[in-house]
Amino acid sequence: MSEQQLIGLLIAVIEFGTLLYLAALGELIAEKAGVLNLGVEGMMAFGGMAGFWFGIETGSPWLGLVMAAVAGGGLALIHAIVSVVMGADQVVSGLALTILGLAMSAFLGTSLVTLTPSSKFTEQPLGPLSDIPILGDTLFSMSLVSWLAVFLGVATWFILERTRIGLSLRAVGENAATADSAGIPVVRARLIAVVIGGALAGISGAYLTMLVAPGWSEGTTAGRGWIAVALVIFGAWRPGRLLVGALLFGGLIALEPRLQTVFDVDFDVRLLSMLPYLLTVAVLIVLSIRSRNRPSAAPAAIGQIWRREER
Amino acid sequence: MGWRLVKRDTPLPGGQVRAFAVGLLLALVLGSILLLAAGHNPLSTYQRMLDASFGSLREISTTLDRAVPLGLAGLAVAVAGSMGLWNIGAEGQIIAGAIAAAWVARLAPDLNGFSLITLMLLASVVGGALLALGPALARAQLGVSEIITTLMLNEVAIRIVRYLVNGPWKDPLSFGFPAAPELPDQAALPDLYQRSNIGLLIAAVVIAVFGWLAARSRWGYELRLAGSSERAAQYVGISLKSKVLTVLVLSGAFAGLAGGILLTGSSDRLVEGVGGGFGYAGIIVAALALMRPSGVAAVAVAFGAVQVGGLAIETQGVPAAIADILQGLILFGALTAAVFGNYRLVRGSADADTTETADPVDESAGTESIGTDLPGEIAGGPA
Amino acid sequence: MLAVELENIWKRFPGVVANAGASLTVKAGSVHAVLGENGAGKTTLMNVLAGVYQPDKGTVRLHGEQQRFTKPADAIAAGVGMVHQEFRLVPTFTVAENVVLGAAPMRISKADLERQVGELAERFGLATDPAQEIWQLSMGERQRVEILKALWREARVLILDEPTAVLTPSEAEELGRITATMAEDGRSIIFISHKLDEVTAFCDEATVLRGGTTVASSLDVADLNAAMLAELMVGQATAVSQRRERANTPGEVALTARDITVRDLHGRNVVDGVSVQIRSGEIVGLAGVAGNGQRPLADALAGLTTSTGTIKMGIHDLTKATPNDRHRRGLSYVPEDRIGVGLAPRLSVTDNAIMRAYRLLARGPIIDREGAADFADELVEQFNVKVARMDQPIAGLSGGNLQRLLVGREVDGQPTVLIAAQPTRGLDVQGVAAIQRVLLEQAETGVGILLISEDLDELLALSDRLLVMHEGHIVGEFDPDLSTRADVGVAMTGAGVA
Repeated sequence: MSEQQLIGLLIAVIEFGTLLYLAALGELIAEKAGVLNLGVEGMMAFGGMAGFWFGIETGSPWLGLVMAAVAGGGLALIHAIVSVVMGADQVVSGLALTILGLAMSAFLGTSLVTLTPSSKFTEQPLGPLSDIPILGDTLFSMSLVSWLAVFLGVATWFILERTRIGLSLRAVGENAATADSAGIPVVRARLIAVVIGGALAGISGAYLTMLVAPGWSEGTTAGRGWIAVALVIFGAWRPGRLLVGALLFGGLIALEPRLQTVFDVDFDVRLLSMLPYLLTVAVLIVLSIRSRNRPSAAPAAIGQIWRREER
Repeated sequence: MGWRLVKRDTPLPGGQVRAFAVGLLLALVLGSILLLAAGHNPLSTYQRMLDASFGSLREISTTLDRAVPLGLAGLAVAVAGSMGLWNIGAEGQIIAGAIAAAWVARLAPDLNGFSLITLMLLASVVGGALLALGPALARAQLGVSEIITTLMLNEVAIRIVRYLVNGPWKDPLSFGFPAAPELPDQAALPDLYQRSNIGLLIAAVVIAVFGWLAARSRWGYELRLAGSSERAAQYVGISLKSKVLTVLVLSGAFAGLAGGILLTGSSDRLVEGVGGGFGYAGIIVAALALMRPSGVAAVAVAFGAVQVGGLAIETQGVPAAIADILQGLILFGALTAAVFGNYRLVRGSADADTTETADPVDESAGTESIGTDLPGEIAGGPA
Repeated sequence: MLAVELENIWKRFPGVVANAGASLTVKAGSVHAVLGENGAGKTTLMNVLAGVYQPDKGTVRLHGEQQRFTKPADAIAAGVGMVHQEFRLVPTFTVAENVVLGAAPMRISKADLERQVGELAERFGLATDPAQEIWQLSMGERQRVEILKALWREARVLILDEPTAVLTPSEAEELGRITATMAEDGRSIIFISHKLDEVTAFCDEATVLRGGTTVASSLDVADLNAAMLAELMVGQATAVSQRRERANTPGEVALTARDITVRDLHGRNVVDGVSVQIRSGEIVGLAGVAGNGQRPLADALAGLTTSTGTIKMGIHDLTKATPNDRHRRGLSYVPEDRIGVGLAPRLSVTDNAIMRAYRLLARGPIIDREGAADFADELVEQFNVKVARMDQPIAGLSGGNLQRLLVGREVDGQPTVLIAAQPTRGLDVQGVAAIQRVLLEQAETGVGILLISEDLDELLALSDRLLVMHEGHIVGEFDPDLSTRADVGVAMTGAGVA
């Protein structure tokens, strides 16, 4: 492998890793509050469409990113209202959100398909650091969105583990009745967590349509939203492990087109792309065996409906 | 003073039919707004959709043909759902069924039509069941949530079929288009009427038989019992492990059959998109049928009509995605309507000032029911 | 100075009026008992004070100021803390995290928190390890965490909902000492109970609720006696549990269980080598503080949990038999959890009625609908279960009706042995009487009954022999005619073994 190829590979790992990490971080926040949102694929597509569109309209990818966050968060709000406030089943509501989000982005994005991606995120060399061999062209030249993702990951960890807000949010996701009797606004906390989760999925989508694969077309998310859902489990609901998982799964995606050309491996690369899903299933099994004699790593209230005066 | 939901003493009448109607109405209204915003006339669009799906016998037969995979996928989800299990993997099981059927056709292309089709359909049943077997075992033996495992296997199945039609099964004559070779001519399901084929009969019989069994048989009773409370099922000696296993595998088999019928009925070759989203739509169908296997047929026909209508308007420049949007909105509308069937919205806190609006205590009938036990004072309560 | 004034509180739930004009006044710096039968509305009234429920009508005043709580946070801010019967703790959080939950400093440092919580615990004599996770703690320790939670929020009014139900007698005494310390500190403690001895030992005043209203308020406990309180609590209804006349000659051995051991998830023996014999026509009582192995023992006998040892009924060895096979051999079981084990909440009255009989009601694979309906109608009629419609989900039925349905179904077809776990818990007076009558009738016709109860009076009145369970062992056997509550109570602590 030449240095050029290595750099290409590493850039791809960072790109796919960022894409997955943003969406998975959003899903992690929602699940920490006890809400499973299977609408990630839909929110990602919707955010990607809206971000791409608005980016071209305004000429600024950053304004597009903001719009994507609004679009993803807005879509997530539907899930939050239907499943948290109304108390409908989270699985059904989330899947319907995926269908709705994919269809809405296809519907509203019909005219965007032919547009050239004039508004894009670009590499951001970090001064002298970008002169370091290999790292300079990859880590220290990555787009600011990747830095944003890293920052959001650290912030999420800090808030969850080191602040009152995080403690409250985790309590809501573990046992709503307990959180409620401790004076924590359960419904509000869940609404906010789900909407933030949606916003991050939207941002992830915009990063996809304005950097990873610039442009808009139906099906551009290609199942990455599902990988994000998987990643949360793979990362055992921890932002740090999530980052490792995102780079690993992102790496698998990046390797796919390079296995034959770069590594000259005689193996059909399409089979490699199912690894993230199979790995997640394996992790789920390990987690459930491990949690036989102790509480599980998953937030205990996931999927549960809560109403204060239910009796 | 915010709003809050208060449980009704008696649910609104009409049940799920009312909820579905409200959902449909809501979807049509919101859909109109979208259509208007995109510069289309909603009324003529809906008219066109209706014509295309129910306009004549020919159109109706198209709708019914479309309802076949929806109904079978819906049945798959509902059978698992009546035991409280989620088979989110119908999409993947449909694909697995189609792959298995296509494989049979590759192995024995020279069989006569009847034998070939029978074998293909049987293979599809096995294929779907096999894909569900892993999650079923994990759930039954280790208690691993079937929601995520079945979901993950969808993506695995999609990649397997992609691999096959791009790789070992790729048709050399397809000019780079990723597809398996055409199936033998005799592998096509015989027509029934106009656009619908024998697959409609097969699906109708399967749905009717299993709908009836779920409602009336010992097996169905045990499913409902286990779905209502696992420990109650254990208490009367029902083996949960074997129930979970058989139900999830059966669920996969139904979805697999949908894949077999799709391949032999509506398609002439195996392609990447063979799943067609029917598996996910089937989840919505089952949810709208309240997980009752007997109810999926009606919802499947309604959704078939929406989908056929969606395809029809595409020729007039309206994106077909509107059909999917309507499906999603119907579900959200129906979920909301179902909640309001059991709850009403009350403003503010119910203190002395708002006693009137908050449905005052009926003091004459009041003390009658006192002395009944309050769950708060019974051990167990909400966890 | 009055710390709490609740006036004319009404609270209605669908189908139930839980509070119908209840009142309560509590002095500052006192321990105040709230007494009442199950279903008298005690918990509902306390939930109103704690902001969990909003009353339909009525006023709440704290230290003279009118309050309008719309959520628990409001009550907490006003200085009310409540320790619910089912603890409100997050099992995967540490003690410190649970204590500060909802009232933590904005920036959290684990070490600081644990130190602060440790200091608070020490000040009130509540021994805990702030760094431990809740799931590893005993019930008594968990309760201390709950109390710490309220103290952390500087609660001036602390509500304890049946706090001793899960405690051993020595733990209960410890609790009495803690409440006294807190009252001396100027706090008011509301102590919900239906056990008179605790009330007289720990409390200064008592208020009695019945049928959702207050029938006696702020009585001085010094003036109280058992007869008076019992009458206040149950009204004019028949007094509980007539002592039964006992059969002179016990029948043949109906069930023999030897050396039953049940292991829990953490590998502890929650039932440890227990042997029991039940003769036909006798009622064997099983007493014990909750959580000493009664439930797993019952589950093991019924085949719902794996156990070691041998179980025999007559010539049949049932050690390896499924729950269904045991039932076919004549073993019926009224489990402690009516809804969720004995009955399936979302299924109809008919479907629940046929839970035992559906296999017999089937022709081949299909259940005979008419047969099932007839069977259910008969059961409902015979045991006087009040239902609006046979196809309604049973979750809407009252506890008394649920229990009549469950017990009726279990005694249908004349079992050989009936295991009844807490069969009268939470029922009103008529409900209790109805269930006890059925048990006595069954014993009369030769059914051997194992009666597990936390109500000592019930056990003393109904049993032919009385076993006491403590930490997984049978620690004593008593003749109810020759024993007093006190004798049995001592054995329940594991202290004196008869």
